[in-house]
Amino acid sequence: MIGSGKRMSSTVQAQLSGLHARSEALIELTREYDRNRVPWEKVEDQLESETTDLVKLQEKLGCEYQTDGALGWKDQLRPVVDSISGLAESTRYSRWFDTNTFYKKPIVNGTVALAKFDSGTFVKSNLLSKDRKWKVTLPGPYTLTELSENKHYSTQSELLREFASVLREIVLKLNSVGVKLFQLSEPSLVSWPYRETRPSTDELEQGIDALRSVVEGVRAEFVVNTFFGDAGPIFSSLQSLPVKAVGVDLYETNWETLPQEAREVGLLLGIVDSEESLVEQPKWLVDTASKVQGKLSCPSIILAPNTDLKFVPRGIADSKLSSLGEAARLLQGGLS
Amino acid sequence: MGDHLFPLHEVGSLAKPRWRTKGLRQPLTTSDLNEAEEWASRLGIVNYHDLAKEVLKNGPDRQRKLLQLSTLYGLRLFEKAGLDNDGVGGEQQRVEMYEHVIKNVGGMRFLGHVNSFDYKYFRKAVAEGAVDRSQPIYVQEFRDVQKLAHRAVKVPITGPYTLVDWSYNEYYQAKGNEGSSLKERKMSARRDFLLDLVEKVIRPEIRDLVEAGASWIQIDEPALTTHPERAELEMFVEAWNETVRGFNCKFSDHTCYPNEVGYRLLAEYTPELEKCSQLTLEFANRDSPELGIDGGAREGYQALRYFVDNGYDGEFGIGAIHVHDYTGVAPKQSGLVSGRDIIESPELVRDRVLYASKIVGDPAKIWVNPDCGLRTRTWDVALAKLTNLSKGTELARKEWA
Repeated sequence: MIGSGKRMSSTVQAQLSGLHARSEALIELTREYDRNRVPWEKVEDQLESETTDLVKLQEKLGCEYQTDGALGWKDQLRPVVDSISGLAESTRYSRWFDTNTFYKKPIVNGTVALAKFDSGTFVKSNLLSKDRKWKVTLPGPYTLTELSENKHYSTQSELLREFASVLREIVLKLNSVGVKLFQLSEPSLVSWPYRETRPSTDELEQGIDALRSVVEGVRAEFVVNTFFGDAGPIFSSLQSLPVKAVGVDLYETNWETLPQEAREVGLLLGIVDSEESLVEQPKWLVDTASKVQGKLSCPSIILAPNTDLKFVPRGIADSKLSSLGEAARLLQGGLS
Repeated sequence: MGDHLFPLHEVGSLAKPRWRTKGLRQPLTTSDLNEAEEWASRLGIVNYHDLAKEVLKNGPDRQRKLLQLSTLYGLRLFEKAGLDNDGVGGEQQRVEMYEHVIKNVGGMRFLGHVNSFDYKYFRKAVAEGAVDRSQPIYVQEFRDVQKLAHRAVKVPITGPYTLVDWSYNEYYQAKGNEGSSLKERKMSARRDFLLDLVEKVIRPEIRDLVEAGASWIQIDEPALTTHPERAELEMFVEAWNETVRGFNCKFSDHTCYPNEVGYRLLAEYTPELEKCSQLTLEFANRDSPELGIDGGAREGYQALRYFVDNGYDGEFGIGAIHVHDYTGVAPKQSGLVSGRDIIESPELVRDRVLYASKIVGDPAKIWVNPDCGLRTRTWDVALAKLTNLSKGTELARKEWA
């Protein structure tokens, strides 16, 4: 039993999302590789070993959906950007929202299209369990547009539509190799450190429409996640999407202010703080999730980090994931 | 300030020469010593052999001697380039701006590395107890500089806001904080951490530096524009004013590489910074390489207007040369692009200085500097860039007169 004391029919599960942390050993190897001191094969071996460890941890925690942790991704956009033509070769790095980390900024100087797709750059399917469902996190079309520099299309809306189309193609291709769940990250729908004023409601609605065009009619499951900002103002609009769940960052969104309304869409609760080292205790996670569920009565709850766990060292990231798994187990008991 | 318009100063770090980095860990080879001797000759360090002998002795103070020698080289490099203020010689005695401080702060522990992008990482520590200064951080370096410098010096220190922003904050979060939401409680803990760091670490350090004779302290706050939110800026102002309270010393703020709105928001708060005599800012990075003193050519300097329009009336240290990899092209008269470097021409520097002066309206308020520390450039490149910075500033002086 959770929340208000009513018996719920909700399901609760823990999920990892986005880029997980690299270990000190992998960090050292990638640095050495960068200095031309070790061959890539050594890095690849370590990557495989650490991905396998992460997969085993998710198995142990009973995660229904598995990710590979995207340990090889150079930033949150890179495999997508590297698959698209119409972007300039550039070495320009920009700050990733309000963090002390950076991403390679896509410079759009031509018609964007899916050019060179390699599923292996998105997901290490050979290392994932065959008896679990696979999950991949991708940037959403609005965030990809916001974080790019548009030197080709006459309007941002045009670029947004094109990126949505390319992302849909990527989703379909990944779905065909076995990926069942896609998390589309849309921090730019709620966080605007690059702008002087927040986008208009119309513009945000265009972003949500673009998401719809990615997911509609695709035989896969989707989660749309928001983080780095308050999801409150667009929460209801996001729930109109045909997705499994909508995500909120509990460290930015005051859940008590979220609208209390009948829902068909689940909630991804960004309940573990990926930017802090303190490992949240399962009991606190259970109490907090119960309070949220007590108010929002969601059909399903996904307990997750608020954003990529790459912002903490590997040991801490694993501990946070373990707390999520334990909390989900405790909540499942309470909910069944 | 110098006795001429547009005085020149450095902003922070220089690359560390191989003999300095290697020498701290292992014996130096003939090749290392040859490199050191060559630079000694270029920088006019006449007693190189005596100094080198000291460093090569395996005495207990070998490392200290090596750091002092490296500091001497940095000071002479700035001097040769024609700067008026040589800082602390390129921060040769510091590992890195964050670690150098944190390793001397009680209550903090390094947890490991975090990925920045690609295969680049930074080390991150956690506040797991109340912070305090376990030992002086910059004082020994300053004393060495005092003995070695021929010109004015300025002590760059890492600002408390940046130290907090780049750290985890377990202790202050666990203390229980005000606020109804997790966001408010996190913010409250951040403020507690920041003000404790100011009181227990930064102010004692400034006190010691001032007592040792420091007359200008530059507070480096690169993280300041990471969070372009009013609550963050208000917290920064509170911490700044507490940091400098009661000290008889010149203070300046160095902030760089903001996102699109960073400077605009910062500008609204700078008039509230007490005793902030100078804002040392990065502009060249965002500027065009074209010559000219109109707004089109000098697009990178438009943000200066925000500070003027908001009533900041102190000096400006204007970044007139780029310090990172340069990936663009440049007209021949604007500089020489080679590999990942651009050596800006004196004429380009001149135009940047003149345009900035035009915006500020009072040339006496303009200091000239690189965008940030030159630590990612080789010494050859750093010297060439700084020399042209100096030549270009001289052209600007003539033009303005």
